[in-house]
Amino acid sequence: MRGRTLKLSMAMLIAALAVSLAIFIGACGSKKSSNSSSNGSIKVGAIVSLTGSYAALGQPEQNTLNMEVKKINDAGGINGKQIDLMIKDDGTDDAKAVAAASELITQDHVVAILGPTGSSTTMAIRGNIDRAGIPEISMAAATPITNPVDKLVFATAWPNSVVVPFTFDYLKKNGITKIGAITDTGGFGADGLAVIKAAAPKMGMTVVDSETFNPGDTDMTAQLTKIKNTDAQAVLMWTAGPEGTIIAKEMQDLGMKIPLYGSHGNGNLQFIQGAGAAANGVKFPAGKILVPAAYGKGSAGYTQATAFITAYQAAYGAAPTTFAGHAFDAIHILADAAKTVSGDVTAAALRDAIEQTSGYVGISGDFTFSPTDHNGMTPKALVMYEIVNGKWTLAK
Amino acid sequence: MTELLQFLIAGLKNGAIYSLVALGFTMVYAATGAINFAQGQFFMLGGMLGAAFVGAGLPLPLAALAAVLATALIGAVFELVAVRPIGDGDPLRIIMVTIGGSVLFSQLALHVFGPDTRSLTTFTAGPSLKVLGAAVERQTIWIWCLTALAVAGLALLYRRTMFGRAMRATSLHRDAARLVGINARAMVTASFALAAALGAVAGLAVAPLTQTSFQVGSGVAVKGFAAAILGGLGDPAAAVAGGLVLGILESLTAGYIDPTYKDGVALIILLLVLFVRHQGLFGGSGREKV
Repeated sequence: MRGRTLKLSMAMLIAALAVSLAIFIGACGSKKSSNSSSNGSIKVGAIVSLTGSYAALGQPEQNTLNMEVKKINDAGGINGKQIDLMIKDDGTDDAKAVAAASELITQDHVVAILGPTGSSTTMAIRGNIDRAGIPEISMAAATPITNPVDKLVFATAWPNSVVVPFTFDYLKKNGITKIGAITDTGGFGADGLAVIKAAAPKMGMTVVDSETFNPGDTDMTAQLTKIKNTDAQAVLMWTAGPEGTIIAKEMQDLGMKIPLYGSHGNGNLQFIQGAGAAANGVKFPAGKILVPAAYGKGSAGYTQATAFITAYQAAYGAAPTTFAGHAFDAIHILADAAKTVSGDVTAAALRDAIEQTSGYVGISGDFTFSPTDHNGMTPKALVMYEIVNGKWTLAK
Repeated sequence: MTELLQFLIAGLKNGAIYSLVALGFTMVYAATGAINFAQGQFFMLGGMLGAAFVGAGLPLPLAALAAVLATALIGAVFELVAVRPIGDGDPLRIIMVTIGGSVLFSQLALHVFGPDTRSLTTFTAGPSLKVLGAAVERQTIWIWCLTALAVAGLALLYRRTMFGRAMRATSLHRDAARLVGINARAMVTASFALAAALGAVAGLAVAPLTQTSFQVGSGVAVKGFAAAILGGLGDPAAAVAGGLVLGILESLTAGYIDPTYKDGVALIILLLVLFVRHQGLFGGSGREKV
């Protein structure tokens, strides 16, 4: 009897050890904040998706934030004050984003939050932002993030309400008016579908079939088979997760001859790597950073972007994505605004300063905010890309 | 008609994967009477190790073999280190340990391989084949062949080899098996190793289609577990049938009802089956069947 008890408690001990080790390792997974209480620094929080379906989006964002904050601090900081950046991983999960936001606000006392990466997570932390009264610069693209305007919330990504009409214009120019839509049921895809359905009749487009899938799904054969059996001239896919690669591959496997158009959620290398040969010929709208010549050589945007690309490439060994661009713009809009604040950089003063942003030449476009526009992006910031031989090229 | 056929092909493709994972659940259940919640992580490890070995320069067949063997070894070591100390302990404790193990494997994979999704190339390149107007990807044929091979191999092992007979004897009556000189504990270790190998095969076979990452394990574990329950726990043939039925149900739901609810509908049908027939669709009286 004693032997058995001993064995059992041994097993319990090992189980407890395994679980606590797992929790410990898990905790290390999220980048721990330095949580320094040094006086005179400006505490800024950032929430990005380093794991989960938007990991491919959040990692370049984290890289960019670290790189740019170091650059700003090395150059003397904001009016002599260093930026103290604390980055949290939300795991592409609404609940974790809320936990990260409340930790940043109540424990770290940040004066602003950059991010999150995703649309759904951005909407999820709205309550925390509003209660705390601190400004947020989101890097996500769903329309409701900045429309209707929340006093505290800004965004550096092109909203679906700008990108969808741009895409429709391009499709119409290429003689495509009937599309089959396939969208994810997460924040970004669901908003995309709503915008697609609202904009189509106004622009003379017909959505002959619309199909959805859940984030994390690994098989879209049923949805694509149904689109295949319609007279759609193209598939329009609105998603930013790795599921997009499955759609590209399955379209090829099903022998679908119509072209695949993606969204600005597909401007990452992982889409090309994951879809392999099936990525070739895929077109998607996005900003100009993927092929900087699109800015127009010699323009302020071109100079800004090529300097950023060179620095990023040197630091991380890969070209920055459109998502890196959103992070670049978020931190620099914040830093530029903070510089104009005289005296203490409080959340309220910072918010007002951010809203004054005017003519900031960024990676994703030129930003001018106003009390009625907290995004400022127009179709001028966008170009259509085509993936050719595994490389981004400007589509004709 | 072609549409229905296409849905069925997709269903059987996913179903075959669920079958392999369900077989892993069933084998450990037969040996221990417990559900191994780390089973999904073996699926994850198969794909991730395969991708890592390919990244290290091994040719794909060798990398796949190495990944399956390495995962089987991990499964055996996991049993020796974490499960065996429970001894003849009650299944509930084993379940708790495997839940801990599941979190541990997933987080270790995050730290070793990083958070990126990884992909493998398809085992044979080329356009998909046409069957009565429906398309069948070459990788799908690989998945079916590997599943069939695994099932045939298991059947041979159980029926024709001394080792397999010893495993069956242990699952029927552990003490009696021990009395005739079977090392019952070694059989439990072997069941974990085999279950891990099956999970790894599934993870490898599907990685070229869906990509893989450190966190694919828990999702597939739910599906494989549902398949094992749907078929009838403890019976390998029932596990395979349960997996195929689950895959087809999901695919038909996605095709004819709404893809948003495909996971939900499959689980509701699972619940209904269990209300009416709690030993599962094809199960006999449980673990004695192996």
